[in-house]
Amino acid sequence: MASIRTYLQSTIMSKVIMALSGLAVIGFLLAHLAGNLLVFGGPEAINKYGQGLRDLGGLLWVLRGGIVVAFIAHIFTSIHLKQRNASARKVSYANTQPVNSTFASRTMLISGLSILIYLLFHLSHFTWGMVSTKSFNGSYILQDGRIVHDVYAMVVADFQNPIISIVYIVAVTLVMFHTTHAFSSAFQTLGINHPSYNGLIKKAGLGIAILFWIGYVSIPVAILGQFVK
Amino acid sequence: MKLKLHIWRQKNAATSGKMTSYEMDNVSPDMSFLEMLDVLNEKIIERGEEPVAFEHDCREGICGSCGMMINGMAHGPEKLTTTCQLHMRKFNDGDEITIEPWRAEAFPVIKDLVVDRSSFDRIIASGGYVNVNTGGVPDANAIPIGKKVADYAFNAAACIGCGACVAACPNASAMLFTSAKISHLGSLPQGQVERMDRVINMVSTMDNEGFGGCTNHLECEAACPKGISAEYIAQMNRDMMKATFTVR
Repeated sequence: MASIRTYLQSTIMSKVIMALSGLAVIGFLLAHLAGNLLVFGGPEAINKYGQGLRDLGGLLWVLRGGIVVAFIAHIFTSIHLKQRNASARKVSYANTQPVNSTFASRTMLISGLSILIYLLFHLSHFTWGMVSTKSFNGSYILQDGRIVHDVYAMVVADFQNPIISIVYIVAVTLVMFHTTHAFSSAFQTLGINHPSYNGLIKKAGLGIAILFWIGYVSIPVAILGQFVK
Repeated sequence: MKLKLHIWRQKNAATSGKMTSYEMDNVSPDMSFLEMLDVLNEKIIERGEEPVAFEHDCREGICGSCGMMINGMAHGPEKLTTTCQLHMRKFNDGDEITIEPWRAEAFPVIKDLVVDRSSFDRIIASGGYVNVNTGGVPDANAIPIGKKVADYAFNAAACIGCGACVAACPNASAMLFTSAKISHLGSLPQGQVERMDRVINMVSTMDNEGFGGCTNHLECEAACPKGISAEYIAQMNRDMMKATFTVR
């Protein structure tokens, strides 16, 4: 028998890596959304939360490391599988009529790579402070007297720029599309397919995709609409 | 009925092909699609030209030979139907119909609409069997099998190996075919001995033959003339995960 490494390189096990890393990213996006929505609780709430994350110290780096590994595994495996799939049909049809596939399922690579490009901008903006240094370097005094990074002021100031907000909304829309196919697809890949709960998985996937869109988009919309100042 | 056909013509595996158009008059709506092609071929032969090569055998919808892409759909627009069981009444007078061979690197075109599907045979040869003791024929019902399990295995066994799943898949993946064969044997008591080796060997042959991977578009499920469910792909994935960590 061949080594375990050979099996892990099979199409199916590559897909399992895609599914597990994708679900990890969905988990991260849910947690990230919960944190971001604290912007509606005012500066104290979100800044305290931001400081709380930093206070995790080593654990925060473990979580960050985990999500970076998941992203990298997801991206590299998708490119590897895409190359394989492209070489499985070199001559294309003159006429093809899709029946079961969806716009989202057929554009996973495009939506995924577009999200990646946005992600790099998003990180350089809000994590590395390379886009607007002024708003990034603000500080805030918590009620307990600690001086912390002013996440609230940074988010509000930057989303007041309609270009930043619109690009963000477009990226979130792509995340929504990507998730509609990704969630149920991950379960199928992991071998979880049963007539009793397939409907539930499909609805949950759609629900999470819509939740991402409404949740994430509500922030720039509230800021542009002056509901959050 | 009057039809305009656009058919892929390719002399042999070594040459490149192209779409060629043919006009058809007086097509009876009661003809099967293959009978319509037979009539076309008679006309082409009368003109002293090479007839359109296509595969066919039983013409009863059970052998899986007559695969072709009709207007961008494997076996044509009718669900759960092979090309031989597709009738011209499904089309309208004046229609233009595109007819192409299955497209996959693992299914090289031999001539016109005929492709070499021996990659499927090699997948079967690598694990699509069970070992049995030689000697007298065992009693048919010696091993009791529950109705639900028997139905589940039978639905997978309904696969006729036509290749429509590969043809319809945007990735030319053979996972519906391979998983049907793996699940058919793997869900029955007789198939348990080789179950883990079977999935490893058949998936590895499938990958080596150059088929793509599944991205869960489920076009295969829609194209399958026998209505085989992608549920079997999930079972293959489960078995593959288990086998990866258990086979020695």
